[in-house]
Amino acid sequence: MSRVVVAMSGGVDSCTAAALCVEAGHETIGVTLKLSGALSAGSGCCGTSDLADARKAAEKLGIPHYAMDFSEIFEKTVVEPFIADYLRQRTPNPCVECNRRVKFGALLKLVEAWKADLLATGHYARIVPEETPQGTEYRLLRAEDAGKDQSYFLYRLTQQELVRVLFPIGGMKKEEVRQKARSLDLPAAEKAESMEVCFVPGDDYRVFLRARAGEKAFEPGDIRDMSGRKLGRHKGLASYTVGQRKGLGLGGPKPLYVARLDAGSNTLVVGTEQEVARRSFTVSAVSWTRGPRSGGQAGLKVRVRHRGRLLEASWSRTGEEGLRVDLRDPERAIAPGQSAVFYEGQEVLGGGIIEEAQ
Amino acid sequence: MAPFVYLDHNATTPVRPEALEAALPFLRHDYGNPSSIYAFGQSARRAVDGAREQVAALLGAKSSDEVVFTASGSEADVLGIFGAAEQAFIDSNGRKKHVVTSLIEHDAVRLLCRRMQARGFEITRLGVDSSGRVDPAAAAAALRPETSVVAVMHANNETGVLEPIAEIGRLCRERGVLLHVDAVQSAGKIPLDVQELCADMLAISGHKINAPKGVGALYVRRGVKLSPVVTGHQEKDRRGGTENVAFIAALGRSAQAAAEELPEHSARLLGLRSRLEEGVLRLPGAHLSSRGAQRLPNTSHFCFEGVDGHQLVVALDLEGVCASSGPACSAGMAGVSHVLEAMGVDPELASGALRVSTGWGSSDADIGRLLSILPGVLKGLREVPKA
Repeated sequence: MSRVVVAMSGGVDSCTAAALCVEAGHETIGVTLKLSGALSAGSGCCGTSDLADARKAAEKLGIPHYAMDFSEIFEKTVVEPFIADYLRQRTPNPCVECNRRVKFGALLKLVEAWKADLLATGHYARIVPEETPQGTEYRLLRAEDAGKDQSYFLYRLTQQELVRVLFPIGGMKKEEVRQKARSLDLPAAEKAESMEVCFVPGDDYRVFLRARAGEKAFEPGDIRDMSGRKLGRHKGLASYTVGQRKGLGLGGPKPLYVARLDAGSNTLVVGTEQEVARRSFTVSAVSWTRGPRSGGQAGLKVRVRHRGRLLEASWSRTGEEGLRVDLRDPERAIAPGQSAVFYEGQEVLGGGIIEEAQ
Repeated sequence: MAPFVYLDHNATTPVRPEALEAALPFLRHDYGNPSSIYAFGQSARRAVDGAREQVAALLGAKSSDEVVFTASGSEADVLGIFGAAEQAFIDSNGRKKHVVTSLIEHDAVRLLCRRMQARGFEITRLGVDSSGRVDPAAAAAALRPETSVVAVMHANNETGVLEPIAEIGRLCRERGVLLHVDAVQSAGKIPLDVQELCADMLAISGHKINAPKGVGALYVRRGVKLSPVVTGHQEKDRRGGTENVAFIAALGRSAQAAAEELPEHSARLLGLRSRLEEGVLRLPGAHLSSRGAQRLPNTSHFCFEGVDGHQLVVALDLEGVCASSGPACSAGMAGVSHVLEAMGVDPELASGALRVSTGWGSSDADIGRLLSILPGVLKGLREVPKA
């Protein structure tokens, strides 16, 4: 019997994950992280109503449950960099950082200190052991339910973490998870899906940024096309992401997309799909799930945003932790600050942070 | 399975068998109302009065009439402080509206004073030195002609530090100010004598001295008039509501047992405390709070460098050891203790707090168990990134 700590946000996925750990005969311990100090109640992973649901589920399952305050490390390693990224015209990915620093960082260390063998979460992804001449290796795979797959956010897990992590629902469809929760009468069974960034109330990061960073990120400026012609005014560069089409407020015969955010002149540069699309980009801070992989073979894919298409790609090293990625077909939404995640078939090979499209 | 070790007697205590036995008849068949005239009610009346004698004896009261039963230590605090302050306010036509308290009181008192302030009372909160002690001279300086009540706790629930109540009490008496003492943590652990302490009101709680939860008592010196919080004729008009006969009987029995066992019990707890503190202070990065000050024999409060106290408490729980970080009421979510803050403890160090409190039934083996697991647990927790 292993001792397993389950991170329970109070949602149906993590509560069902906990139930599966109990059924598997593990000594299961529930833990709910308080991540955001600013939120009092509500959605995402941090609201207090979710804490109550997690507690109820733990009671139902007959397992101990603890609430742990991780708001300080969350603020420093997730929220502050999130704000800083927007202020330097990048589009951050807080879930990637939270997984890396908080859930599979600090929490995993805490799990060890609590003498538990494994950390389980309600993520939709799979970890599959494979025997190799070097010993057992743990492969990180996409979820069975392609519509729910969260592997994009998990690419920074390495063997060191993967060996001690369980994703009990990674092989299930969402509807199966709900069925399971219903059959166990878990309070979260019918809870609505939460897709927003957990610490951003109302899912509008602009409101959050304004509250935290002030007006400096929202200084209006010109919108210009690739040739420099003025097309309109923008509401502050922090409101836009490379590749964005909606919300530009521009008419015109052809749809226009954000090409880049020019901080120097406070200009939002837009263009047609053809003008905006890029075929290669650079990546920094690369991490690999099973050690470095060279990027020459056929069948290698990259994803440049969560739920984005898998793009055929190759890559080559440009330094210690840097890569240059080449796409077979041009792509318009290559946003600095987002992650580029590499796949081979079902497996996540690793990934890094997009620096610049070329 | 790891052995179960309970080292959180300042949070609550097990009910001792004598206390349970004293309560049971009134839960089973002796359900009469102590206010009834017929004989069936008189048996309940006898039980309540007997308990009153037992509690009076524990506190050194001159007469059992000076004991009022309440539903908790918190309620006894509210009746003592607010009851006396409001009565003085009424009697002085609104002139006496000043109350002196300290920064390290239990939330029962702290939140009451905040509420009284919102209602127009003036509150002075005395600071403490680095060991957590109130300076009697500062208390003297805070007294004004409008001061009606001084409320300072006897022993702090977190650090166990003992406050100079007798000194404060003497100067209150000289100045004609009433002294309320929250003795919830000291009762049964050290000798208590309301005469020596010059206390006019003194609160205790049943479940801290091995009686059930849901019963407390307030000593009220004869001649002191309190405006009741719960109105009614019971307890000589001082506390309405039909008496909780069973639990009052249990509290009386516990008080009697505590009084009988006190010197030996105290000495035994002190022995456990010494062993514990010696062992813990050998570990790197361990600090004993209120070191050198007079403290309760059962309480040790530590701060560990580089450790989150809440994570530590869970780690110990998973090893079968119950101890606490903050006071039980604020457990669940972190937040630096107002007591440590008042003492000027560095907030980072304060976040690594652990309170160990022994009591009835605690053994040398319990201390040994904690000492054996603590080094490994601390080492693991120091690996957890804080930022």
